Amino acid sequence: MIMHELGMMESALALVQRYATEQHARRVERVVLRIGTLSGVDPESLRFAFDVVSRGTTAEGASFEIESIPAVVFCRSCQKEFKGDNGGFIFQCPTCGDFCGDLRTGKEIELGRLEFS
Amino acid sequence: MNTETATPKEQSDETYSIHPLSGAATVAARTLSAPLSAEINAALDASPKGEVAVRSLDLRIPLLEKNDILAERNRGYFLGRGLAALNLVSSPGAGKTTLLERTLDEFAPQTKCAVLVGDLETDNDGNRLRRPHAPVAQITTGTVCHLDASMIARAAQSIDLAGVKILFIENVGNLVCPASFDLGEQVRVVLLSTTEGEDKPLKYPPIFKSANLVLLTKVDVADALGFKREVAVENIKRIAPQARIIQLSARSGEGMADWYAFLRTLAGAR
Repeated sequence: MIMHELGMMESALALVQRYATEQHARRVERVVLRIGTLSGVDPESLRFAFDVVSRGTTAEGASFEIESIPAVVFCRSCQKEFKGDNGGFIFQCPTCGDFCGDLRTGKEIELGRLEFS
Repeated sequence: MNTETATPKEQSDETYSIHPLSGAATVAARTLSAPLSAEINAALDASPKGEVAVRSLDLRIPLLEKNDILAERNRGYFLGRGLAALNLVSSPGAGKTTLLERTLDEFAPQTKCAVLVGDLETDNDGNRLRRPHAPVAQITTGTVCHLDASMIARAAQSIDLAGVKILFIENVGNLVCPASFDLGEQVRVVLLSTTEGEDKPLKYPPIFKSANLVLLTKVDVADALGFKREVAVENIKRIAPQARIIQLSARSGEGMADWYAFLRTLAGAR
């Protein structure tokens, strides 16, 4: 599935380059992605993809970090949020036992933070 | 279907962290053009030991941005044309094409339908689905394991959508990758056939999680295969409590009336 990670990284790098130019940056020091635990994206593949696509750009050699975003599910019966990281994709409310489909966080695939010098 | 588009924070929200810097880098900083050089000089002035500011931006921009934007454009286009788009996803051989063949024969004569069908190679499915009353476009993806929003935008331009109420998009047979790619559909339909085992939803949860409708197909042979329908339905409900479930067989015809009723409601709502 490396193909997806590569494509995502290409989009990420295009954004990085855009902001680097906008900010008149000499070098990109740090790139932080926000990846939800249920996003289906493999962090190791992302790391590999970053090395590949950043080569020869201002982001080459930048510190690359992944911030893992936990799954939070909303139960409609209880009107409460609960953590959804334990049961894979089965979200059962710990209070009322209902199966819930309303995933509030955990699917993020985002460019989170950039640092330039 | 994440349609959230994050926007970069305002300039005033940016923070500056001070890092130690060597003399050489300080020289390099002086050669920078405005406005960053001004910021760095200000930071240098403010730091007694010749430290320099590293500028940071909090962005939170979704990386599927490009596909998501195109998908929203497709959704608007379809909505504007008054048609409902269904994205049909399943493993290879779950019965997408067979279901569509029968649907085109029985349902499309009353309610105009069109099909976009994706495969890696060949136009075999496109040929199987070709009917005088329903425009069909074959999309061959080469090595790409899913359809994306730009392929749909292009293919939709290639057929005559006048009067079409339902647009079926038959995705590449794959239960993994299509989950991540919004095509701009109104309804995502995931097919699970009785030849696949009752626990498929538990093994491939993301795609089932994203379904609006799950079709349990080939139910005519369920008993012969020892397939327990109620177990499959239970598993679907655990992963996708939001999804409607229809059990059907495009061969025997069982459940097809429910499927057509679902389509009629969709077409009527346009």
